[in-house]
Amino acid sequence: MLSRSAQGVYWMARYLARAGYLSRLLELQVQFLVDRPVDEIHFGWKRIYRCMKRFPPSGEEFLAEADEFALADAFTLADDLTFERSNPDSVRSALARGRENARQMRHCISGEMWTCLNAAWLRIRDLEAVDIWRTPEVFYAKTRSEIHNFVGVADATMYRGAAWRFMRLGRAVERAQLAASLLRAQMELSRRAERRTLGWASMLRTHHALEAYGRVYGADMQPDRVLDLLVADPSLPGSVLATVQAAATELAGLDGGPGVDADAAARRLAGRAEALILYDWPEAPAPEELLEQVDRCVRRLHDAVLGAFVDYPIEDSPLR
Amino acid sequence: MFVAEGAPREHCRAIYEALRKLPDDHLETIQERVTRSFSQEGITFTVYGDEEAEERIIPVDCVPRLLALAEWRELEAGLVQRIRTLNLFLADVYGECRILRDGAIPPDLVLGCPQYRLAMRGVSVQGDAWVTICGTDIVRTKDGFRVLEDNLRSPSGVSYMVANRKAVKAGLRLLYRNSRVQDVENYGSLLRQTLCELSPGGRPDPCLALLTPGTYNSAFYEHMFLAHEIGAELVEGQDLLVNDGFVYMRTTSGLRRVDVIYRRIDDDFLDPLVFREDSLLGVPGLMNAFKRGNVALANAPGTGVADDKSVYAYVPDMVRYYLGEEPLLQNVETRLCRRPEDLEYTLDNLESLVVKRVGESGGYGMLVGPHSTLEERDEYAKTLRADPADFISQPTLALSRSPCLIDGRAEPRHVDLRPFVLTGAETRIVPGAFCRVALRRGSLVVNSSQGGGGKDLWVVDL
Repeated sequence: MLSRSAQGVYWMARYLARAGYLSRLLELQVQFLVDRPVDEIHFGWKRIYRCMKRFPPSGEEFLAEADEFALADAFTLADDLTFERSNPDSVRSALARGRENARQMRHCISGEMWTCLNAAWLRIRDLEAVDIWRTPEVFYAKTRSEIHNFVGVADATMYRGAAWRFMRLGRAVERAQLAASLLRAQMELSRRAERRTLGWASMLRTHHALEAYGRVYGADMQPDRVLDLLVADPSLPGSVLATVQAAATELAGLDGGPGVDADAAARRLAGRAEALILYDWPEAPAPEELLEQVDRCVRRLHDAVLGAFVDYPIEDSPLR
Repeated sequence: MFVAEGAPREHCRAIYEALRKLPDDHLETIQERVTRSFSQEGITFTVYGDEEAEERIIPVDCVPRLLALAEWRELEAGLVQRIRTLNLFLADVYGECRILRDGAIPPDLVLGCPQYRLAMRGVSVQGDAWVTICGTDIVRTKDGFRVLEDNLRSPSGVSYMVANRKAVKAGLRLLYRNSRVQDVENYGSLLRQTLCELSPGGRPDPCLALLTPGTYNSAFYEHMFLAHEIGAELVEGQDLLVNDGFVYMRTTSGLRRVDVIYRRIDDDFLDPLVFREDSLLGVPGLMNAFKRGNVALANAPGTGVADDKSVYAYVPDMVRYYLGEEPLLQNVETRLCRRPEDLEYTLDNLESLVVKRVGESGGYGMLVGPHSTLEERDEYAKTLRADPADFISQPTLALSRSPCLIDGRAEPRHVDLRPFVLTGAETRIVPGAFCRVALRRGSLVVNSSQGGGGKDLWVVDL
């Protein structure tokens, strides 16, 4: 497969996973606006911004713990995260970039995937925050479900070649990074919060894990159990472990890159992230630090993938 | 469609009647559906200098243009003869130059043409297929088909031929079925077959690549579409490199040799070592690999000399010269302003002529006399006098018109057609064309870049 095409499909999947994840976060956050106490709403905004590594539009005081979120209204924050064109990670920007990568790599994906994605883009393209603000949760739920649809259509129609692997790899890497990032934000914020349980239930809902939690642990909601489930349960599709394992699987399915062991670094990083969770997590004295290590592995995994398959030095590449 | 008001041509009668019987708003519904399907599938074209409309849809009219199979066969024979001739001409002017020495064409016209590539002198091309893909613009006048332009560099539009067919067929299912329309959707497989025949040294199972200038190019949709159809990698210059006279592309499993390149970038940008050195789109060393016969380029560099608007005037003479036959397809009567008597005639008759710049295409830089103002003509005459050799003039044609659905009503609009001719080991043509419509009432300019639209052409066996 052409390296640039592999890169395009990989980025397509990353951006779409980002758009989907952020839509889910915002879907829950705008639901909070209806019936949650103010501190929980503020907590939610902070967590999203920290996860996306972004400052709210009103300034950088965020870091200084001044409560910017009490001042900024929900509309402004939602607009900033959803439609703001200068925000490269806003739902609209991420969808636009995912779709642009798909447009350039249309010959690598199925026609059904393209029309599905293009329809989603055409729906959102001309919208603004005021257009969705009567029922914002409906908009976010729809966007999220369109991206789920895309993933399903891909599963049903896409040829299982290298492009498929790179797409799945991109999705796994993005989801692993986002999940680790959101968990770290949650741990840090809740450590400083007055209520120890603040935000943990919504962590489950974000990852569609409420039912799973009930099945594994029963009705008693305990933060460390929620954390365990979201980090280390291999059966939960959005857990850090499951996404890291998915990345490892896709890497193993690729034909190894241009030279002998060209992808060794990438495989080692995926393996290391997996091992950290499998073997170190259960008795980790400092879970936050361990999660940070996992996060770092996944970020380096991204560079290693591109280094192995896309930006490799041509001097010692075999000619075929 | 009509011989006279309300009197359809023989092969159009059944379809005309069927269309007439459709309920009033039915065609409009179909039209809407066709337009929507283009938007959803992202079948787009970029118009230069129009920032907002980066991805614009070519408006498609859902009423098909009809051609009888017998008429098509006639046209086809003419196209085959013409393209054979043009390939012989190219082999000649980059080889022995017989036609120039014999004085059948003024040598300075050819050798002085900006599209004449010195780098191609003495180069032989696999099977003498210089022009692998040709898109000839044909108009129909009251005297029959006329060639308006041979597009021998990298003609575009074929993806719209297929897309228009798909969309219109889905809208007019029953009518399509009953009309025995000739199929065009195998174009991709014919193109693949043709390109494979160019494989250097007949290497089996050649690796094909389509070289695009990139996603900002107006025809990017087409490049993507064709790469998909022919199973080629869609590459940009940055994906390719030349090593030891062979071309390779960077893949996820190392460098892979490329055998045939269907290039959709101009000669000028192909290879910075030979042509424009500031080109970032091309591949350094590509021409060397090509000359050594290690990679095939379709079309070969230098073909532009044969579709130059001045050289065009000599194509009928070329047919006689190379084949000893009378041309089956006629040109539009063309005056070369480089000849003093033609210049004088052109200046005297500006208000009735169409004047074009030799080096321009896409409908840019032309004057349509009958639609121009006195000031425009005066202005144009000045530039014309300054450099007469840069201009040709043609009579304003009474182009054939075809009914189009405009605001819910059928109205006549001017049309032309661009059939695509493929040349590999043999010549192949699908019975269809990208049919262009001048959507503005009375307008004669059909170019997509000038607000023209598309139509499906049905070659019917009725």
